[in-house]
Amino acid sequence: MSNDVVIRTDRLTKRFGPLSVFEEVSLEVKKSEVMAIIGPSGAGKSTFIRCLNYLHPFNQGKLDILGHTILGGKHHLPREELRDIRTRVGMVFQTFNLFPHLNVLENITLAPVEVKRVARANANERAMELLEMVGLSAKAKMYPKRLSGGEQQRVAICRALAMEPEVMLFDEPTSMLDPELVGDVLAAIRRLASDGMTMILVTHEMQFAKDVADTVVIMADHGVVETGPAREVLESPRTERAQSFLHRVLHPEEANDLIDAKMAPIGGRQ
Amino acid sequence: MQTLWSVWMQYLPLLLKGTVMTVELTGAALVVGVVFGFLLALGRLSHIRVLDTVATGYVEVIRAIPVLIILFITYYAFAELGLVLSGVTAAVVSLGGFYATQYGEIFRGSILGIDRGQTEAAAALGLSHAQTLRRVVLPQAFFTILPPATNQLSNLIKDTSLVFTISVADLMYQANSALSVNFLPMDMLMEAGVIYFIFYLIIAKVLGRWELNVQRRRN
Repeated sequence: MSNDVVIRTDRLTKRFGPLSVFEEVSLEVKKSEVMAIIGPSGAGKSTFIRCLNYLHPFNQGKLDILGHTILGGKHHLPREELRDIRTRVGMVFQTFNLFPHLNVLENITLAPVEVKRVARANANERAMELLEMVGLSAKAKMYPKRLSGGEQQRVAICRALAMEPEVMLFDEPTSMLDPELVGDVLAAIRRLASDGMTMILVTHEMQFAKDVADTVVIMADHGVVETGPAREVLESPRTERAQSFLHRVLHPEEANDLIDAKMAPIGGRQ
Repeated sequence: MQTLWSVWMQYLPLLLKGTVMTVELTGAALVVGVVFGFLLALGRLSHIRVLDTVATGYVEVIRAIPVLIILFITYYAFAELGLVLSGVTAAVVSLGGFYATQYGEIFRGSILGIDRGQTEAAAALGLSHAQTLRRVVLPQAFFTILPPATNQLSNLIKDTSLVFTISVADLMYQANSALSVNFLPMDMLMEAGVIYFIFYLIIAKVLGRWELNVQRRRN
């Protein structure tokens, strides 16, 4: 593995019982690279990035991440290895998953203090810096319930960053947000990208992927259908599956025509 | 009215003496029940098959047996096997042992009720299972534990009255011994009932206030 490759998956395969989630996904992410994974729902995108920090075990294939090599089929990893990977890989979830019984500051400092044994004062100071960066330092003492979705997600980003991760995984970070709140979250992610953070981002924001990502991966039908430089993949996809997916995403109004056409006979029967 | 009042007052010291025993029994059985119940819940949630099986077996069997039978087994049948326990010890062991199954199931349900996203987020941050339980799951489970736990506590208070059958001098025992002398069962039992009611009322109020405070702080 060349030195600047941070994550490499080799024919990674995940099944739930007889149900295939994704088959033989082979990808490579270099240091400071931003990779966007797009594709229709049910394609296994979320499950795939959850396999990278071993929230889900995978069945077959090989995962190289930050110097660790994990082979498929293992249900549990040694505790130390798991801890090392997870403290160095940050993750942001679609549903934020802030801890509701802790205020914003406590949400951010919990892991540094518990896991990395950072002194409370230092952890607080770092948390305030991070909150400053996303424009939320005034909300440090508030409980998550009182924050908007966009604010919660920015706190969740701070919570992940407080561990000083080398890689960040984003699992559809904006798909639960009201449209007017998406911008602030994307701005925070964009800033991370420009600071050189290595990131893998599952997203439905095509324009954002085009602007921020270096590489785009399209997953559909349980596997990767196309991968390459962001602009190339999004503007002139080679495979038919990628073309049809992108066409449907970029021209949702045409899907309506399709439904109208299908509806007609039903109406006609009355 | 005058006579009722004076009779109640006359026997109040005796009944209060029994009340002290009732309160102590409740407290001790509660501690045993909560601690042992917590271990049972952890056992049932454990991925280690043996622990799960033992804890599940214990809960399923014990909670299906009347407390009175458990009490008599602990007091009389254990003695037959050479394990002689004092009345109070037998009472605490059997009440604690029985209520552990109730508290264990409350804890288990509350822990399972915590959103999966919470444990995933904790895991993604590198927290161990124990850290996740202690810092993320249990503090949240606490809110769903409190109401059913208060409910079970009211049952526990009432079930302590069963110990009068093995001559532990609790509130029920004192009321019973008084009425067998003064032949005023209505007065003695009513008076004991009122004391049980007041005891429960105080505990329910205190726990209710606590619950409210914690909830308010979170909002």
